[in-house]
Order: sequence, then structure tokens, then C-alpha cells
Amino acid sequence: MTPNDPAGRTPAAPVAPVRPPLPVKMVIAGGFGVGKTTAVGAISEIEPLTTEAAITEVAAGVDDLSHTPTKTTTTVAMDFGCLTIDPTLKLYLFGTPGQERFGFMWDDIVEGALGGLVIVDTRRLDDCYAAVDYFEHRQIPFAVAVNAFDGQVEHSIDEVRWALDVADRVPVVVFDARERGSVRDALLVVLERALARTEG
Amino acid sequence: MADGRPPDGEDALRQPGQDPVGPAPAVRPFLVTAGRVAPSATGRPVPVETQVVATAGGLTVLDGLSFEQHDIVAACRLPQSIAELAARLRLHLNVVRVLAEDLRTAGHLTVYVPDIDITRDASVLRRVIDGLRAIPDSRGVLRDTE
Repeated sequence: MTPNDPAGRTPAAPVAPVRPPLPVKMVIAGGFGVGKTTAVGAISEIEPLTTEAAITEVAAGVDDLSHTPTKTTTTVAMDFGCLTIDPTLKLYLFGTPGQERFGFMWDDIVEGALGGLVIVDTRRLDDCYAAVDYFEHRQIPFAVAVNAFDGQVEHSIDEVRWALDVADRVPVVVFDARERGSVRDALLVVLERALARTEG
Repeated sequence: MADGRPPDGEDALRQPGQDPVGPAPAVRPFLVTAGRVAPSATGRPVPVETQVVATAGGLTVLDGLSFEQHDIVAACRLPQSIAELAARLRLHLNVVRVLAEDLRTAGHLTVYVPDIDITRDASVLRRVIDGLRAIPDSRGVLRDTE
């Protein structure tokens, strides 16, 4: 047996080295069934893919970091899509799972994200508190996007802002998760906020 | 075992006398990683958008690679993110992270770990903004530019 005999042979599959694009990502968060995957699918150039991600759940009520928090790792489904900005730059959109429960840490997914979009269903505002808290705490630029199911929003933007207690600098917009242009514009609001932060 | 070679390829899957450490419940996902769950030598998991590309060498030895290793290298003829690989091959993200690191060490893959500081790079943000603005909505209407 000659496991290796490459000398003088024509390589079986010659390939030019392929330089991958620079990957950047944004995170789309919100409660269960609020339209995260719909929003990803509306703008992604591929059908949203699903993968299993491990997220760490920290026991509620453990605020003191000097204590050893009770952590459990849960495997959850995560939907994502992507968008080629140009051959050297590719935007990934990750729908973060698990936000319907309190205390999840998404660091594994969110680390390095350009920004986040928190999708809100005004009938179930509670579902997005964890996401809002998370982005504020991690100082990740984000916006709140109220999903207008069938064009209906049960509360005004001011009411949503008050109920969520988000800082004035955090944009709150109404959008339609099914509509590509609407998702695009909501993501642009986040990115413009991220850009403003770099400028100062 | 005694030859001092780092375990790679198929050897990593069945090292005699070296059982995966710990209890058995989550066996299936991590069997293919020989029980390891730590993604990289640095201890930090690579970001999910990390790009992975097969090397010419990896493609040359493709037929000699086993199951998941084979599938990963084959899928990486074109650049893929860790997340895409996991989804397309139906593997857990952390399994892909571990295997990609093995395959990188073996020279079969190139792993491009993105620089986290990029999130504060105004020129990158502007490129993403300009790229998104150029996307028409579902009726083909371009966004008004201010």
C-alpha cells in the first residue's frame, strides 16, 4: 500500500486559492413567532438555513458576578441567511434563539455583530425585554422594530418606547417583516446608528 | 499512540483505550470530535460567520478522509461560514468548530477568523450601508437616497 504517492502526479482537483469574503453579521432578536425568520427570509439571498446552536442559560436572579452562577447549556435551533454585499463583503443575518426565556446569553452568536434588530409584536411586548436588555448591556447598537402584522399596530411608537423603557437614542420603527424593502430599511437604521457611534 | 503524532483524520475518531471523558448522554454530536468540546486552542470559539475554505492539499486527500471530515472539506470547495457548514451538513455548530480546527491543523482547510474590531470600522459599515441601499424592495423599487 502506498498511501501517499503524490510525486509527479497531476493533482486530482487543482483549485485556485479562493479568498473568502469578509463576513460581517447582524443579529435579529425577538420573542417566539414574532417574525425573525420571516425578516431574515425577506432579505436573504438564500432560503434561511437552520442550525443548532448552544446557548448558555444563566439562572435568573444571579446578579453578583463574584458568585458562581448556575449555568446550563441548551441547544436551540437558529435560523440565518446571508446577503452578498460585493465579492469581498458578505452580510450574515442571525435570528437569535431562546429570547422568549429570561437570562440567555447569546455571546457565542452575537460576539462581533455590527448591530441588532429587536422585533416586537405589540400584543406581546414582554417577549422582547430580554433582547433589549441584552443589547443595552453589551453596548451593541440596536433598534426596535415593531412588526406590523397585517398593517396593524396596537400601540403607538411612543407607547412601545415607554413600555420597553428604551433610551431615547435607540430608534423605534414600524416595519413589515415580510417586505424586503421594509427589512432593508430597518437594518439600515441599525447600521446608521452603529456608524454614528464610530464617529462619535 | 506512541508515535507522538497528533491525532488527525480517522485516528481521532477511534483512539484505542482513550474513551471520551465524561458522561454519555450527549454522545452522538460529540462522538465525531472524540469527545472534545473545546473549540480551539485559544479557548474562544471562532465566530459563527468565520469563513472556511478547503486547501488544494485537502481536496487532494479528500477520498482518504472519513465521514464528517470528508463532507466538510468537500463542502468547502467554495468558502463557507461555520454556520452554513453546520446547517448544510446537519451538524452541531460546536462539532463543526472542533472538526474545522482539526482540519486546519492537518492542513486540509484554511480558517479565516474575522477580526472583531471590524464592527467599529466606519469604512466597513459604510460599505454595508451602501450595499443594502442598493437592494430593491420586493416590487423592485430602490430606496430613496438622501
